[in-house]
Amino acid sequence: MTLRVSVSSPQNIGAVPHGTRRTVPLNGGDFEGPRLRGTVVPEGSADWLLLRADGVLELDLRVTLLTHDGALISMKSFGLRHGPPEVIAAIARGETVDPALYYFRTTPRFETAHPTYAFLNRIIAVATGDRRADGPIYAIHEVL
Amino acid sequence: MVLHLTTAAIQEVGSTPRGRLFIFPILGGSFEGDRVRGKVLAGGADWATATADGAFELDLRATLEADDGALIYLTFTGVRDDARQYLRTLPRFETAAPQYDFLNRLLAVGIGEIRPDGPVHIIEELL
Repeated sequence: MTLRVSVSSPQNIGAVPHGTRRTVPLNGGDFEGPRLRGTVVPEGSADWLLLRADGVLELDLRVTLLTHDGALISMKSFGLRHGPPEVIAAIARGETVDPALYYFRTTPRFETAHPTYAFLNRIIAVATGDRRADGPIYAIHEVL
Repeated sequence: MVLHLTTAAIQEVGSTPRGRLFIFPILGGSFEGDRVRGKVLAGGADWATATADGAFELDLRATLEADDGALIYLTFTGVRDDARQYLRTLPRFETAAPQYDFLNRLLAVGIGEIRPDGPVHIIEELL
């Protein structure tokens, strides 16, 4: 499925023992795939970022998804983003960059109590990200 | 890479608040890939929690020793659902060895299989 999230102003926590921490709350989004579609619940959804000393950005995205038929799905996704300094700088300036020029991969896990979507509790998935100025777009696929 | 593990007798911890917990201690093993190969050191384990739907949530920690002596810390989470022969994992690596620094910067997926002599995981980088 494709998940689009829109980000609001980052909260710059700053230098912490493991790197530089920044929290980016989400203010909405939507998702659509063959088996589920719906919207992102903004409350409580954010990406907790940690820029490591080696320049790799660790992502810890937690999102609540609301399907078109009313089911709530909790998604947590650990990821990594890194690339050549000039590419990362262009992303920081809000430019649209070819996602093939940097590494942006995440590993979503899902939890739900809704029987229609119970299959999500039992799958491992991987995602490729595309960082746009208003928020990332994730192409998410089940590991078959 | 292909990771072979040998495990000791299962430690059945029993019903915990999160489900029935089984610990599979790791005795050793080997791994081999294009860029890194070596052996698995004893001391790790896979903590497997049975979920109410009959699957297991996996949580493995192990130390790998490459053939040049470098140590690599391997962890993975995963799902094992024997009803549909599904064993998929999300390995992460940490190392201080510069020749293996690429491992610190990648995400990977694993496809596992339980064989009579122990689990085998085929681990591939997410490209």
